[in-house]
Amino acid sequence: MKRFTKLALLAAVFAVFTGMCAGAALAKDTLIVANIYDAKTLDPIATNEVATSGMCLHVYDNLLSLGADGAPVPQLAEKYEIIDNLTYKFNLRKGVKFHNGEEMKAADVKYTFERAKSPAGASIRQYVDDINTVEVIDDYTVVFKMKRPFTPFLMALTHTCGSILNKKAVEAAGDNYGMNPVGTGPFKFKSWAKGDRITLERNEEYWGKKPAFKTLVMRAIPEATNRTIELESGAIDIAYQITTNDLKRVQENPKLALMRVVDNSTTYMGLNCSKAPFDNPKVRKAVSLALDTVGIQKAVWRGVGKAPVAPIAPNILYAIKDAKPHVQDVEAAKKLLAEAGVKLPLNVQIWTNERKERIDMATIIQSQLEEVGIKAEIKVLEWGAYLDGLKQKTHDMFILGWVASVPDPEFAVSGVFHSSMVGSTNFSYFVNPDVDKMMEQGKALPNGPEREKLYKDLQEKIDSLTPWVYLHNDEQICGTQKNIKGFQPSPRGYHVLTNVSFE
Amino acid sequence: MEVWHRMKRSPMAVIGLVLIIVLFVMALFANVIAPFTYSKQNLVHAFESPSSKYIFGTDEFGRDIFSRIVYGARISLQVGFIAVGISMFIGGFLGALAGYYGGKIDNVIMRIMDVLLSIPSILLAIAIAASLGPGLFNLMIAVGISAIPNYARIVRGSVLSIRGQEFVEAAKAVGSSDLRIIFKHIIPNCTAPIIVQATLGVATAILTAAGLSFIGLGIQPPIPEWGAMLSSGRSYIRDYPYMTLFPGLAIMITILALNFVGDGLRDALDPKLKR
Amino acid sequence: MGFFCAPAFFEEGWKRMLKYIFRRILSLIPVLIGVTFIVFSLLYLTPGDPARMVLGDQATEEAVTDFRIKEGLDDPFIVQFARYVYKAAFKGDIGRSYVTKRPVSDEILSAFPSTIKLAAFSVIIAICLGIPFGIISAIKQYSLFDSITMFFALVGLSMPVFWLGLLLILLFSVRLGWFPSSGFDTFSAMVLPSVALSAQVIAIVTRMTRSSMLEVIRSDYIRTARAKGQTEGKVIWRHALGNALIPIVTIVGLQFGHLLGGAILTESIFSIPGVGRLMVEAIKMRDYPLVQGGVLYVAVAFSVVNLLVDLLYAFVDPRIKAQYR
Repeated sequence: MKRFTKLALLAAVFAVFTGMCAGAALAKDTLIVANIYDAKTLDPIATNEVATSGMCLHVYDNLLSLGADGAPVPQLAEKYEIIDNLTYKFNLRKGVKFHNGEEMKAADVKYTFERAKSPAGASIRQYVDDINTVEVIDDYTVVFKMKRPFTPFLMALTHTCGSILNKKAVEAAGDNYGMNPVGTGPFKFKSWAKGDRITLERNEEYWGKKPAFKTLVMRAIPEATNRTIELESGAIDIAYQITTNDLKRVQENPKLALMRVVDNSTTYMGLNCSKAPFDNPKVRKAVSLALDTVGIQKAVWRGVGKAPVAPIAPNILYAIKDAKPHVQDVEAAKKLLAEAGVKLPLNVQIWTNERKERIDMATIIQSQLEEVGIKAEIKVLEWGAYLDGLKQKTHDMFILGWVASVPDPEFAVSGVFHSSMVGSTNFSYFVNPDVDKMMEQGKALPNGPEREKLYKDLQEKIDSLTPWVYLHNDEQICGTQKNIKGFQPSPRGYHVLTNVSFE
Repeated sequence: MEVWHRMKRSPMAVIGLVLIIVLFVMALFANVIAPFTYSKQNLVHAFESPSSKYIFGTDEFGRDIFSRIVYGARISLQVGFIAVGISMFIGGFLGALAGYYGGKIDNVIMRIMDVLLSIPSILLAIAIAASLGPGLFNLMIAVGISAIPNYARIVRGSVLSIRGQEFVEAAKAVGSSDLRIIFKHIIPNCTAPIIVQATLGVATAILTAAGLSFIGLGIQPPIPEWGAMLSSGRSYIRDYPYMTLFPGLAIMITILALNFVGDGLRDALDPKLKR
Repeated sequence: MGFFCAPAFFEEGWKRMLKYIFRRILSLIPVLIGVTFIVFSLLYLTPGDPARMVLGDQATEEAVTDFRIKEGLDDPFIVQFARYVYKAAFKGDIGRSYVTKRPVSDEILSAFPSTIKLAAFSVIIAICLGIPFGIISAIKQYSLFDSITMFFALVGLSMPVFWLGLLLILLFSVRLGWFPSSGFDTFSAMVLPSVALSAQVIAIVTRMTRSSMLEVIRSDYIRTARAKGQTEGKVIWRHALGNALIPIVTIVGLQFGHLLGGAILTESIFSIPGVGRLMVEAIKMRDYPLVQGGVLYVAVAFSVVNLLVDLLYAFVDPRIKAQYR
């Protein structure tokens, strides 16, 4: 027995050493990144989620990509022309090769977007629905015609759904395409240990600037503590989604660097505008005034993110950034409730799903609302049941998040405030014809001062009607080894790794 | 009682019994024993280490962990006993039916039990909990249902061994209804193995419930269920390990005590181990 | 259970055994249908729309409706159930994951190796520690060694595996840095999760070994061997252990099967891409085909392990072997 234990111990120590040495040897030419989840597929239109987008970003290129300042810049399209408010012309780069050797031509672009509009693209339909036709003028020229003016089009092209596919490769792989992606991007797909890691290899024939390292490994480590531990031990180079609890630890570690940027998500408490007493804007305003949202955000998130001042997240085009922070005013809240004739104590429910921070925020909100005579009961629902329940219109208040995956203001507001979206994504059942009209106008106006003013007015109007109490804009926080250069997290929630180099 | 005397001989069983009694006392008199309520928040005092004021420290809301653990005893015992109660009555009844009537009924019931057993109990509990929705009561049902086959088997076994015996024939001859025979004669004879199973079953139920809460199957806040406390303390484990230490210890000591008692009962009731 | 039948039929050798195996496999079918029915019902009754979960909260209502139609989610329960059973039984098609669009079989088979590795390692650790300790405890019954071992066994049995896992991570990953806390690729990554998971199994095996040995030691068979003048060592090793092993084998097999069901909690703490974690994710995302397929696979795996244990039992039991010869 003793002998065996000794042997086992020796074996373990040996294994650890070998592991460490092997790791050290690989490090310089391999970038190991840890994300919270594994990608679901490498078919860019099969889902609309961040881990998948993060991988597709490196395997594929788009016609336009998101530039450093948040505006679309040419990628596979050398230049583009807005011919009129319904027509866009793109001149494609010549000689760009897919990973299977085929050259990228206009036919591939046409195929990509027709596929996106087909049932296979159900998750991203909303971004491409307004595209009417894609015409191939010649091998390197494409013309898009919209059904109606759709200003967010160029921004939508930078989204994962606009990843240019190779018609031959997709048709050949059929249903298994998700595991056998072929793009024009800086990395080629190598292998995928499902649920564990994806390995990509540098595309030696890449048309643009080639990555400085040969292999990219994206690991999935759902436990935040584990991600940080792996980062500290040097087993990974970059860790995404560093949580509040580990923030200080990474910051104070001399071997690590912390990078952060406010992202495009808004966490809010919505009020059911179709149910009394929240059908009265005064009551909604009262709820908003009763809460110290800045204090709540600080207590729950402890230094991560910020309390929003407007419905559109700050890094999205035309977001209001300079408004004054929300001020709690319990007396004014009580007055408004009295004016609205609300009988106190008012019994309501706050619904939320199991996310710890949301439960924490609800808990503090509950105790603050008591001060104005509102007795809130917290109901924690499992995610699927939660979404189902919100469709029943019986809720009072609920905590939810909204992300504009395409960072255009249209996608930040219409899903949650347009009357046509009630019961599907507009769970505050907010219906206001003026707001509807403004959103429809905003969608069609070309970018410029007029559009900017419209969205600023829109945000102020929504604010005055208070369907939401804004709780939190999240941050993308990433930890890296000190020797990592060229990495900058993006508000989109997935980050470009192509420009990373080791010092 | 002879069983009691035999149990007293084993020191571990006695310790276990004492611990269980302590647990019951904690649960019944929680509002007297605990210095604070389990939901009072005190954000200023969040994350305080164990001290004379906060014996086990405070959590992220400044709530006293010791108080939450004391109140948590109530929850754990409720979950354990009600879940076992559900398994025992439904499982026992089905097992009795199967054993007594035999034949087709036996076949069908045991087949269903086989099916339930083929699904890993925690997976079954998760699926049931997801289906019923969050809440303490649903948790008890989920845990209870997943343990039914154990009791069905035990009761069936006991029933089979007693079925042919004379007093049953006699009861039948006198004209007692089947149901009466089952309840009056057969089930009392199975009590020994059932009690042992139940004691250990309460332990398993508490553990399963803690596991489900750990995964996040909706205990409504601010209910201080020990597994849920472990789960929420998990994110702070590197900075404030005491937040997971104490709920974990509470679970472990409870289960340990129940296992001591269960073992003691089993040894005491086992005719073969007569010394 | 199978082994009650073993003595009776082994008299006629291999043919009977094959018939037995065939009968067991056949009896698996109603069990699988039952399992499918239960899981189907649970999913049907669970609130939450798979379409909405899969397509994401920004998708249009139209896309959601189209999805439901395509997957037949609005059909009556019986229709959906019959369709599933028909496809599974006659076409071997258990569908594609709603989320990844990959065939369910592929998804599960990619996850199984990790779970099997974890279960196997835990069982091996349990056998290596549990059996020796159990034997010594039995031989030295009522000694200090025995009491301490039994105490620790009970402690191991009572420790919540998720707590033990967290403590191990805290001590060995964070404080000492000896082993990684996640992943499952290198040998060192497997140590902590296997140890955490094995605690309960070690406890069970130790206790079982001890009680089984005790029963055998006190039996007539052993008394006869002692009376015949065999040395104590031989008595223990040759005669006692062989007999005692039978229920131990059964228990080990059952535990292994159990662990295959997905050591869900261990997998989530250590970020191991096994079946358990896959199932929990699938339930959360309402990925119906994956949940159904997963449970089927696990049920089959569990039944196969049970069958193997029963067969092994029949082989190991010398009483049965004697009849067979």
